[in-house]
Amino acid sequence: MDSLAEESFGEILENWGGFVACTETLLKGKGDPSVGSQLVPLVATLCVHGLGSLAQDHFLQSLAETFKTNVVSKFWQQFHAYRDGPRLNVHEDWREEVLNKSVEEMWTDHEDWHEEVLNKSLDEICTERSYMEKCVLVLVHALQSYDEGITKGNIEFQHLHSHLISRFQLMVSSVLLTTLPLHFPEVLRLYFRKKLEELSTIIAGEYEDGCESQIDDHYFNQQTKRSHLGDMDTIGTYSAIAISNDNSLVKSIGKVVRELRSLGFTSLTEDAYASAIFLLLKNKVHSLAGDEYRSPVLQSIKDWIQAVPLQFLNALLVYLGESIDYDSSASGLKSPLASCPFSYPGIDTPSEGLVRWQLRLEYFAYETLQDLRIGKLFEIIVDYPDSSPAIEDLKKCLEHTGQHSKLVESFVSSLRYRLLTAGASTNDILHQYVSTIKALRTIDPAGVFLEAVGEHIRDYLRGRKDTIKCIVTMLTDGTGGNSSGAGNSGESLLEELTRDAENQENADCDEDINSDEKQAWLSAERWEPDPVEVDPSKCGRSRRKIDILAMMVSIIGSKDQLVNEYRVMLAEKLLNKSDYDIDSEIRTLELLKIHFGESSMQRCEIMTNDLIHSKRTNASIKASIPQPSLEGADQGKTNLPLNILDVTIISSNFWPPIQEETVNVPSSVDQLLSDYSKRFHEIKTPRKLLWKKNLGTVKLELQFEDRTIQFTVTPVHATIIMQFQEQTSWTSTNLAAAIGIPVDLLNRRINFWVCKGILAESVGKDSNDHVFTLVEDMMDPNRNGLTSSGYEGLITADEERERSVASVEEQLRKEMTIYEKFIEGMLTNFGSLSLDRIHNSLKMFCLAEPPYDKSLQQLQSFLSSLVSEEKLEMRDGMYFLKK
Amino acid sequence: MFPSRSKMKVKILNWHAVASWTWDAQDETCGICRMAFDGCCPDCKYPGDDCPLIWGACNHSFHLHCILKWVNSQTSQPHCPMCRREWQFKAWEQRRRGFQLETPGQC
Repeated sequence: MDSLAEESFGEILENWGGFVACTETLLKGKGDPSVGSQLVPLVATLCVHGLGSLAQDHFLQSLAETFKTNVVSKFWQQFHAYRDGPRLNVHEDWREEVLNKSVEEMWTDHEDWHEEVLNKSLDEICTERSYMEKCVLVLVHALQSYDEGITKGNIEFQHLHSHLISRFQLMVSSVLLTTLPLHFPEVLRLYFRKKLEELSTIIAGEYEDGCESQIDDHYFNQQTKRSHLGDMDTIGTYSAIAISNDNSLVKSIGKVVRELRSLGFTSLTEDAYASAIFLLLKNKVHSLAGDEYRSPVLQSIKDWIQAVPLQFLNALLVYLGESIDYDSSASGLKSPLASCPFSYPGIDTPSEGLVRWQLRLEYFAYETLQDLRIGKLFEIIVDYPDSSPAIEDLKKCLEHTGQHSKLVESFVSSLRYRLLTAGASTNDILHQYVSTIKALRTIDPAGVFLEAVGEHIRDYLRGRKDTIKCIVTMLTDGTGGNSSGAGNSGESLLEELTRDAENQENADCDEDINSDEKQAWLSAERWEPDPVEVDPSKCGRSRRKIDILAMMVSIIGSKDQLVNEYRVMLAEKLLNKSDYDIDSEIRTLELLKIHFGESSMQRCEIMTNDLIHSKRTNASIKASIPQPSLEGADQGKTNLPLNILDVTIISSNFWPPIQEETVNVPSSVDQLLSDYSKRFHEIKTPRKLLWKKNLGTVKLELQFEDRTIQFTVTPVHATIIMQFQEQTSWTSTNLAAAIGIPVDLLNRRINFWVCKGILAESVGKDSNDHVFTLVEDMMDPNRNGLTSSGYEGLITADEERERSVASVEEQLRKEMTIYEKFIEGMLTNFGSLSLDRIHNSLKMFCLAEPPYDKSLQQLQSFLSSLVSEEKLEMRDGMYFLKK
Repeated sequence: MFPSRSKMKVKILNWHAVASWTWDAQDETCGICRMAFDGCCPDCKYPGDDCPLIWGACNHSFHLHCILKWVNSQTSQPHCPMCRREWQFKAWEQRRRGFQLETPGQC
């Protein structure tokens, strides 16, 4: 037993030594077949002694050793040049960037050199590897021949073979991966990027002269049949054959990919070319979409995806797919984790891998475009009607990516930063709001995200005082509130009114046709669940209907406020009409009536009706007065014919409070007015006229010796200037007394004539008393602007004109003064009170006529006006009486 | 002291004045509907011609629609809602004379 053991022990040792030596020569030597035959008996002997697995282990281990020392280090050495840069900064976020840059620099420095290095070193390492594989096969063969001696089983051999090969491959990739330098993926990425760019420029060129190349294509088809690229028209509208022209390029890429794969870099490679493709796609999207909002780009991006990256991938996959057949080792390497893109060289149906790639690329394109658009959404919405293609694109992207909340977030923050600031005019904000509503309505018909965005704008606008006024101006003025491009918005709101009216009509028709049941069924069918982002606290079906006007009204809070403001504005407008042309007002009013209901617009309707009646009455009065009756009245005075007088007769109860000032109009006019009212009294029997002498418009002509100038002014202005007919110079006190208005008012009004150069102002004896003198000769060249023609004088005195109707604030102010005493009383008792306390107390105690019905905001603005009058003080949100 | 006549003349081309109308009633509101005379009765939409005022022989005035409703609802001889005198519409000439005489307390 012992002797046997010793004997065999010696034999084993001897054999083992032989095996080790053999292995070494095998690995070092270059394919010496004799070594293989030497190995067979050694292996057999070792196997007999049950040391087969040990032999295998040793073989592989030495293989690994050799591979590592000889091949791998040499391989990495090739890329050493690219290591220096990145090594310095291998941490932090900007690592990749720096890496990118430095490698890129290298790249540009050496251009093809790098590519060659990669190709060459890959080739080298692959030959080494395949040689080693051969070595493994030698071992396998040796083992096999031993096995055959015993079992003659072929199945076991198969098993053994694949087992050893896979162990070998695992070894190769693990050795490579453990020694992988950081920059290698980057090198790969750059390689693919460069190749892809080359390819895409070629394809783009092809695409441009696609027609001419049709014939050539056929030729290339024949030539490149091997790769089955010719009839790859499953994809895209581009000429699918284009890529076949560059088969050599694709092939060279394919070769690199295959070699990399055989080294176990499957996922690394895929990452690299995926990122290269994505980078290319991203650049493409950016260059196509960029700052261009006026044309849709999504389709062309899709086309491009079909044309370039997919073509490339297809070619690559086909190429690799084929390679599987004759290079079975590569296929054996498929790791389950790396979703290995395999492809059946099917022609008509795109392979699964390709479809997966297409989806991936398209999603990426959607996401990139979406991010790009969302980032610029503010600008896009600014020129909304023109940029609707961009909005459409964004809509499609969002349908795929579903990142609506991202949109809301980013848009709100850009709104905060750019729009909702003190610098932006209310008009602009409203304009943007309208555009936002329209744009987001296209993106998201349910209005959920609009709600989220709109809330911020609304909140902000509520804090602005002139919001209501601006909205009303936008509603009523076709031309818009200000000249700087807001004309659009004004029109759009008016348009919106019109559209709303049309919709309403249509809706009415629908209701007539459809029975209730049918309607219910239809709406039930149309139901869609709310998006996830819905704020559950704000549930309500009413929100669903996106109605721009309703959203505008919701800024203000109640439609009553809006109607009130509108009434004031309408009154102002109607009173300043010198003709009775109110067609546009009536139209707007009708539209508003449809929207806000007839009853709330009742008073406004009476106002327009007054104008219509006035026109009729005016005509009939003029017709009824015979010329002779006038003559008796104004004998000895300038004869003013009655037909120069037009009167607007209003039902004052239904108009907003009118600001009345007394003014002594010139006696000739006064005479005219009283004649007129006499006639009115006769026609409309018991009714009488009460003149609002300060209101209206006067068109007059100043006749100088050398020229005439026309003006359209208020009656007060007319009265002032007419005084200068009699007397060319007046002191302000005297003039004020003659006209019957306060001096300060006179000073304000007379300024108009001073500005026009008709009157000259000088300081009189008393410093408070100004002297105004008529400027009679205008030879002064400084004023030739005026003398040249009377045209300029036609400018109305609008900037001078005081409002004829008390504004809403003034009305409110008047109403609030009643409560001033209450508030003062409260503050004397309690010392200090907060806004809420005051509000609640007023609500509780002011029940008698008139009951307190103001909102908190109204109270606040009243209190702050009291503060500015120095009646109250406000500190830390508490109000005090000013001592 | 000041040069008197100027060589400037103002020619008025058009004077567009504004006035409000009023029923020249002695009271502010209609005794029946308590609405302003210069407004209209609750059934009317537009004031003025559409909703005129009427005077009784007693010189009390009401919206035409209001008093007609009242008169029609009375079974026997209608009375003025204000002074309970027998209701008669005042002839226009009579009213005018009444005004000229300035005797409002006539009834």
